Amino acid sequence: MTPGKHSIDTARAANAGVWGTGPPQAARERSWSATPHSVANMPISPPGSRKQPPSVGLTVGPQVRKSISFISTVKGTQTKGYAGANQSRMAMSKTMMILPEMKIEKMNISSPKMRDTQVIDVNGVDVTPRPLYHPDPHTVTTKPNKILTSQEGSLGSEFISSYSLYQNTINPSLLGQFTRSALGSSTISKSSVSTTESIAEDLEEPSYKRERLVSYTDLRVVRTTPEKIVTKEDLEKNIEIILTETETLRFFDLPTVMVSVESEEAEKVNQRNRNYETLCKNRAGNDLYVERMMQTINGAPKTKEVQCHKIIMEDKGIMSTAWDLYDSYNAVELSSSSVKPSKIESSKANIPSKDRDQRVPGSTTEKNSEASSLMDIENVILAKIHEDEEDHSEAILKSDKFHQDLFFMERVLMENVFQSKLAAYRQLPVLKEPEPEEPEDSLQGEELEEVEEEVKKEEEEEIEIGTEQSKIPANLERLWSFSCDLTKGLNVSSLAWNKANSDLLAVGYGHFGFKEQKRGLACCWSLKNTMWPERIYQSLHGVTAVDFSTGSPNLLAVAYYNGSIAIYNVQSNSNIPVLDSSESPQKHLGPIWQLQWIEQDRGTTGDDKREILVSISADGRISKWVIRKGLDCHDLMKLRRTTTSTNKKGGEKEKKGEALISRQAPGLCFAFHPKDTNIYLAGTEEGHIHKCSCSYNEQYLDTYRGHKGPVYKIAWNPFCHDVFLSCSADWGVIIWQQDNIKPFLTFYPTTYVVYDVVWSPKSSYIFAAANETRVEIWDLHISILDPLIVNVANPGIKFTTVLFAKQTDCLLVGDSDGQVSVYELRNMPTAIDSGRGDVIYKLLGPKSNHSG
Amino acid sequence: QTEVEETLKRIQSHKGVIGTMVVNAEGIPIRTTLDNSTTVQYAGLLHQLTMKARSTVRDIDPQNDLTFLRIRSKKHEIMVAPDKEYLLIVIQNPCE
Repeated sequence: MTPGKHSIDTARAANAGVWGTGPPQAARERSWSATPHSVANMPISPPGSRKQPPSVGLTVGPQVRKSISFISTVKGTQTKGYAGANQSRMAMSKTMMILPEMKIEKMNISSPKMRDTQVIDVNGVDVTPRPLYHPDPHTVTTKPNKILTSQEGSLGSEFISSYSLYQNTINPSLLGQFTRSALGSSTISKSSVSTTESIAEDLEEPSYKRERLVSYTDLRVVRTTPEKIVTKEDLEKNIEIILTETETLRFFDLPTVMVSVESEEAEKVNQRNRNYETLCKNRAGNDLYVERMMQTINGAPKTKEVQCHKIIMEDKGIMSTAWDLYDSYNAVELSSSSVKPSKIESSKANIPSKDRDQRVPGSTTEKNSEASSLMDIENVILAKIHEDEEDHSEAILKSDKFHQDLFFMERVLMENVFQSKLAAYRQLPVLKEPEPEEPEDSLQGEELEEVEEEVKKEEEEEIEIGTEQSKIPANLERLWSFSCDLTKGLNVSSLAWNKANSDLLAVGYGHFGFKEQKRGLACCWSLKNTMWPERIYQSLHGVTAVDFSTGSPNLLAVAYYNGSIAIYNVQSNSNIPVLDSSESPQKHLGPIWQLQWIEQDRGTTGDDKREILVSISADGRISKWVIRKGLDCHDLMKLRRTTTSTNKKGGEKEKKGEALISRQAPGLCFAFHPKDTNIYLAGTEEGHIHKCSCSYNEQYLDTYRGHKGPVYKIAWNPFCHDVFLSCSADWGVIIWQQDNIKPFLTFYPTTYVVYDVVWSPKSSYIFAAANETRVEIWDLHISILDPLIVNVANPGIKFTTVLFAKQTDCLLVGDSDGQVSVYELRNMPTAIDSGRGDVIYKLLGPKSNHSG
Repeated sequence: QTEVEETLKRIQSHKGVIGTMVVNAEGIPIRTTLDNSTTVQYAGLLHQLTMKARSTVRDIDPQNDLTFLRIRSKKHEIMVAPDKEYLLIVIQNPCE
């Protein structure tokens, strides 16, 4: 027998995992007889003895070595256990682990030493098997394992070692023995094992490792049975033996090869057997079964050489970053949408490179790949598209993104320069550079420094005004000014803040006088860029009034000296007005002096507030403009010249018989009541202030007479709604109370025309007035005789407009040189909140009606 | 286009500005007010720095992207507006 021949079966057996055989093969057929032989010498250790001399198993020597003989003695087991060590190991382990049925155990206990085991068959023949394995006494076994605690060392090892020697058949045979409990003698072998198992707990035998049992390759079995001296007490001690039944483990199953004649398969089996017999008969001398040689025609080999391109290997390293992964994932999703942009870009790229030749397709595709690829552009440097780069660079300069970047850059530069000023404006703590601080007025030059010094001197003189809190008097500190080359030389005629974005300022440039007329300009300035306006709207005529809309904060209404109104949308970059009134038949014929967006309650009709544009012009009309299909206007009031005959309430008597050129009085300013938008005041060139209502367009409700010259500005007090302020060319500023047609308080600080007055949004006592030479800030709470702060202008420059900043303590002053300067009010006396509405009463008490 | 030119001119004439340059993605200057060698040097160095800065920003959050880069040194401040195709670089001495 050779392992080779058996190998097939082994494999089959292994694969089947069953210890049974395949179809019986002729060569291997054995007569299976149930022999009572027990296969091996089961080394059974007596409970008492622990030692097992290795020589025990030597009785069955030569016979043992033949595996075949074993097979014959084994009933039914033909397993060629050439299965790999695993298989046999498994078997072995199984054998070792099995605790067979109870009845077997009974016999086990009483089983004596192996030597004493005698197997006698029915005929009384001693068929005691002889041990297969004769272990080397000098081999040392390894440390035992608890798995087989009961296993007697030497016995087990012998058993195992016998297995290991014969690596195969023994296991199945033994196993066969185990499963066939019919074998009486075999039970002993079984029982020996089971004994060991069953009395596992009691015997404190060192057990051999399971691996021990299954390591067939290792012929050296080490036995280290510890010595334990058995005392008399031990022997007499009651040993408790607990017998338990295990489950039935099936580890060998050999299907029977005999079939009953009466079964259903009998016919088939018979047929098969007959076929087989015929086959065997035919086999002898049959051509089919003869070994023959054949010669195949071998083709003549031929060597052929092939050369391939050199395989270029390149090492590429890339750092896999989180964004790279993100881009790659998104690239898959956006691959469809990126086709479109790449197409667009290819068309763009094609246009500049139209005149190029063959390189165009290649290069544009390169550009496409550049544009739509998500890889680093650094890797796509190609010299051949250098020519196209020139066009590409032009495209860069024209691109929107570049434009935007330039925009931001400019603002950043501004911020660098003006950071401290802007911080002061926004009332943030001013950060100081560690280097020497830049001088404040470095922008404009020395002349303004002189102004500053002058102001300071004046402030020192004015200390006697006495601010209650701080020792440093209130002053105006100049932060910066909005000016650029375009605006140089123009007169600032109006200022207006944007209602939505408080950083945006609209400035109108235009001269007041008829002879001084030049071109006009309306600019939108942003705080973030003080050197260049965001929007520039040029026109032929001077701009006399500007205002931002409240309802749509992007609309800017500009009024011109020629009486027309234009509405611009500041969101777009275009210079063309959205609406223009030049074609309207009812447009004003004289310069429009004031323009304002008013939100009017519809009142009775129940509509929500609608915004209208109201203008007053020198042709004596106050018009309301409505935006429908174009600018359409509707007269609110026609200002008529008032003569003494119409006004009987008193006042000065005018000369009779004065020839009136026109019955219309030019209107210069108006102011709607902050609460009741039906009522408004209008100032005329005559010096009269008329209180009118939108409901009546013929009659005035009241006339306030006090000024002797044209009234340039009227302003309602934002907190106390009864009080309003007016300034005129007669050098005076008058405070009126609504119910009283006589002036309440008058101020004649200088002998110059007062162009503009405005109340402070923070306190009801403070207002600012701009006359030709200086800007004054009055605080009625402190003094009604002198202004709190006076800021003198440069010689030659007139201050024409003032405006308070909304959130911060800053004042904007426009002058006749095209500059809008921003001043910060410093050290102002803190406003007393309670005084908001009480200005009249407070002033009324100690000072009665001051006749102006 | 002229607006672009005007803006560039304004930026260049701004207070404290030492130089302005626009370079394309390969480091070739498109517009510059400094000499060529300085421009090329700035372009190369800042390009790498911008890449690194962008990589950093996007590593933290891939949906974010770099819009502006400012480097303030003892002597002056370098401001870079990066883009896929170009770099806008302005060098300013903020305190004169």
